[in-house]
Amino acid sequence: MITGIKELYGYREMLRNLVRKDLRTRYKGSFLGFLWTFINPLLQLIVYTIVFSTIMRTNIDKFYMYLFVALIPWIFFTSSIQGGATSIITNKDLIKKIYFPRLIIPLSVVNAAFMNMLFSMVVVFIVLLISGIGLSKYILLLPLVMILEYLFVLGLSFMFSALNVYFRDLEHILGIITMVWFYLTPIVYGVDMIPEKYLGLFYLNPMTNMVIAYRDILYYKKVPDFSTFGSIFAWSVIFIVLGYVVFQNLQKNFVEEL
Amino acid sequence: MNVIEVNNVYKSFKVYHDKGGTLKEKVLFKKRNRYEENQVLKGIDLNIKKGEVVGLIGQNGCGKSTLLKLMTKIIYPDKGTIEVKGKVSSLLELGAGFHPDMSGRENIYTNASIFGLTKKEIDNRIEKIIDFSELGEFVDNPVRTYSSGMYMRLAFSVAINVDAEILLIDEILAVGDSNFQQKCFERLRELKQKGITIVIVTHDTGTIERFCSRAIWLDKGLLQSDGKVSIVVDDYLRYMNLKRIDSIEKNHIEESREPENLETNKKENHSIAQNEIVEKEDVNNINYSDNRFGLKHIEITKAIIKNTEKEETRVLKGGEEVEIEIHYKVNKPLEEYVFGIGFYTLEGLCIYGSNTQLDRLKIKHTDNKGVVRYKIDRLPLLTGIYGLNIAVVDENGTPMDFIRNYCNFNVVSNDRSVGLISVKHKWIITDGGK
Repeated sequence: MITGIKELYGYREMLRNLVRKDLRTRYKGSFLGFLWTFINPLLQLIVYTIVFSTIMRTNIDKFYMYLFVALIPWIFFTSSIQGGATSIITNKDLIKKIYFPRLIIPLSVVNAAFMNMLFSMVVVFIVLLISGIGLSKYILLLPLVMILEYLFVLGLSFMFSALNVYFRDLEHILGIITMVWFYLTPIVYGVDMIPEKYLGLFYLNPMTNMVIAYRDILYYKKVPDFSTFGSIFAWSVIFIVLGYVVFQNLQKNFVEEL
Repeated sequence: MNVIEVNNVYKSFKVYHDKGGTLKEKVLFKKRNRYEENQVLKGIDLNIKKGEVVGLIGQNGCGKSTLLKLMTKIIYPDKGTIEVKGKVSSLLELGAGFHPDMSGRENIYTNASIFGLTKKEIDNRIEKIIDFSELGEFVDNPVRTYSSGMYMRLAFSVAINVDAEILLIDEILAVGDSNFQQKCFERLRELKQKGITIVIVTHDTGTIERFCSRAIWLDKGLLQSDGKVSIVVDDYLRYMNLKRIDSIEKNHIEESREPENLETNKKENHSIAQNEIVEKEDVNNINYSDNRFGLKHIEITKAIIKNTEKEETRVLKGGEEVEIEIHYKVNKPLEEYVFGIGFYTLEGLCIYGSNTQLDRLKIKHTDNKGVVRYKIDRLPLLTGIYGLNIAVVDENGTPMDFIRNYCNFNVVSNDRSVGLISVKHKWIITDGGK
């Protein structure tokens, strides 16, 4: 695994090129171009604000922010695993032609999505300041949470990208799975709304604690529980290792399967 | 020091009859996923040392390209291991990741990054790469505006300038015009001198002989021969010659049926004609421009070419024993007969001809039919197709039965000289006229 990582480091320029291409070509040809990276989350935020402060009113204070700080990490999660799942097949011409560490491909998708999350975070910070919630010193914990989520998502993307080469249905099934997963994760609602008897099950969902951590730091301005951190950390380590092993085993037959 | 170690490698490919990739197809149509296993490599062991320039040869489908792909790690072996130490640049598929809308320069960056170069390393090489590609100012135009030659030149320039320690090449030297090819070879020679390990897959034994320090011949997924270039190449060519003889013979068996019928038809015609001739008995009436002419007092019924094993054949090996049997029948006995044969090119040029009279033999009439055998210990012809003339004349040279181009025969020779005839020879090289 260490030689694998060393090799990946050698190919950093390729990774950089792929991420840059992903970010650039996404809005290619559009009038606002790269600005969409910021406009998109901003427009989403405006929609949620209108919907939840005028139509579906809740008793949660500044519900749009409550939702938004959880939605940003969720969007990173879904766009990574869905983009990751198809990534090997999209790049099959390159894979068939030449050797390079195959991990680069899903890695570049996740990195591009992560970059997008960073840009969205800029919008989140600005709105937090404007809305009066403000930023606390616990914001310093945010990078740690983001890195742990990054590892978790990366592991899943490794796995799905490799599996999808063998079972092409996976990319379609994933659409349904992520939708169900979205409602099983406390994003549009809080953990306190979950019935007591199901609570244990919800905590088995790795994304539950991820979202809780983001919300604690950004919305409640408090340090997440130790158990939350522990859970995130465990899931991240498990998935990055598992994803790596699954990927490296399956990648050997990519060229023949593609 | 070994830079490439291949240990007992097996590789097979699945050839699906009708492949279904989705879950539904996998579950519902199990039959569709039937496949045949095509065993390409069957236990390859080989080590390549640093600085060696190795040529892999073998006929189509022998597994040489598969072996090269295994070395690049594009595919993995089913069994066995392959270890490659050092940075590899493969010239299997040039121009990986080229984007038509981007300029040549941008594509150099993309392409070189796929070879594992960092930005700084590419910056250091960019001028060299552009210079080598001879694209000049075109390098800033989008690649889609390039001619195919320019495209290949650019791609090749990147691949050869990434400073790999191991270079894997598959039949690439068809890049660009002859000047550029020359340049590629010079560059490869330079790299060879620098101690770069190079593995080349090619059908062209000439390339291997000019360029490699070692040759490996693969056949049917196994190592046939490995070692000194000249020995391996000769082994390979000899084998290919034998194969060619087999396939030509097969074709002959298939073809021979029809021509034989034609021949018998011809013979019938001739016998009618012959009667006329016999009746006229006029030497002046012989039409020498016909393919078969003569007075037919004595007539050739058939001629057979036999190889060393005394088998009838139309394919001969250069340098080996050959026998030509002439069967004849006598319509009107003469004092003396003279038999002759001749080898001709397809253009009708006589390469060699001889007859019994020239060899001071006197053949008197004995029976109404008989066989004359002409035998050569070492067939001195080079690879090619030749025509056989057969004739019988009387002692004055009046043609009795003269058959021009009785049949064609193939010669396959291991002598690689050019021209028509094989001469036993050697070169003696002395220094300074000593």
